[in-house]
Amino acid sequence: MRDPVAAAASAVTALVGDRAADWDRTGRLPGDLVRRLGAAGQLAAQIPAKYGGPGWSSADNGEFTAHVGSLCGSLRSVMTSQGMAAWTVERLADPAQAAELLPRLASGDTAAVAFSEPQAGSDLSAIETTVTVDGDSLLLSGHKTWVTAADYADLILVVARMDEGGAVVAVDRTAPGVRVRRVAEPLGCRAAGHAEVRLHGVRLPLSRLLGGGRQPLSLLVTTALAYGRISVAWGCVGILRACVAAAVEHAGTRRQFGRPLGRHQLVARHLADLWTAEQIAARACEHASRCWDEHDAGLVPAIVLAKYVSATHAAKGAAAAVQVLASAGARDGHVVARAYRDAKLMEIIEGSDEVCQLILADHALRQG
Amino acid sequence: MTTSSNQPVPDSSTVQADMLEFLAKRTGTAWAADADVFGSGGLSSLFAMELVVHLETSYGIAIRGGDLRLENFRTVRRMAALVDRLRQPAPGGSGGSGA
Repeated sequence: MRDPVAAAASAVTALVGDRAADWDRTGRLPGDLVRRLGAAGQLAAQIPAKYGGPGWSSADNGEFTAHVGSLCGSLRSVMTSQGMAAWTVERLADPAQAAELLPRLASGDTAAVAFSEPQAGSDLSAIETTVTVDGDSLLLSGHKTWVTAADYADLILVVARMDEGGAVVAVDRTAPGVRVRRVAEPLGCRAAGHAEVRLHGVRLPLSRLLGGGRQPLSLLVTTALAYGRISVAWGCVGILRACVAAAVEHAGTRRQFGRPLGRHQLVARHLADLWTAEQIAARACEHASRCWDEHDAGLVPAIVLAKYVSATHAAKGAAAAVQVLASAGARDGHVVARAYRDAKLMEIIEGSDEVCQLILADHALRQG
Repeated sequence: MTTSSNQPVPDSSTVQADMLEFLAKRTGTAWAADADVFGSGGLSSLFAMELVVHLETSYGIAIRGGDLRLENFRTVRRMAALVDRLRQPAPGGSGGSGA
């Protein structure tokens, strides 16, 4: 890790301490923790320096994301949302909008991106949330579900339908007509502030329409998810690193039948597979980040590959870690119990395993 | 990314030739300069993002905001026209950063 990244990683380790288990059980992150990391620019460390961000590379931010993910999956999810919001603004907004919004996101304001709806999950072409131009303002209505980090967010980027195309609208959470309600007891990343967002005739200035709107919906979604997916993938590397550490520690010290658990072959196989899973996921993520940093046109399949490989390996690896720790890890809040639940959620969000498989199969077919 | 002043400026026909070669290589199909690459039987929207990244890095431009419309990428001719337009220094325009 480069020095600033290592310093930020140590600082987060100290901030989180041994509290991630409590946050998991109570379903809340301390508000000051989120603000503090946001103010340091570390929730979205790829925001370019000209907008007041740290301007880290994808490779550096990836390693940092994995580190946070090894400590607390909920906090890492909040980072993913913030980074995805910043990237969406950087990519889609016009220069004046970027100059207004990005410094906010680099200095303490928090953000979430709202895609899913009751009738639009994997099929985002079915979204019904609509934005129209009404005189000299925008009018936005719809219902978004499972918006990660929305409960902490000052700013919500809403993906909407606009005429024949799509649009991303930057909505202040305090705007009249916006209602945010937490998802009760999510399966994983329990303190990530998942919420549903209802938008009832929300009136906004035209300047809140990123890049003037009317862009192809699929391109908007692909663009925003590019960041979300690579961030989730690195987060899964973090889950695996936490699981390797916990399983190795336990298997090396706990003795049964007169020897350490790790010297029993069936347990040793779990350790080998878990370690291998971490290595595979890390390599896939490093490759995707290299494509990102080098502006390689093969970026999109590399990202989907990293997300798919990392999420599936994290889910399998976390299950193996719970198996190795057995009763020692089988309670809510424990690092491997959190990993088990968080990793399952990672196989669902930002493109389920099945959606990733369809994209990768399509890519393979087109390559001929 | 910063547009480098000593980078050779390709004319529109060079951009078209480069893009036809890129598309042929990435898709395994030969395209005409005015063919609708996203029309029926054409390319996926995932590929649109790949195209955006390729155009940005090949020609030192930043395709942001309102320029990110499928209309600008529908044919190789339109891609070349977009490159031409974005290579003109726009007053108050942002250089943007890469990827």
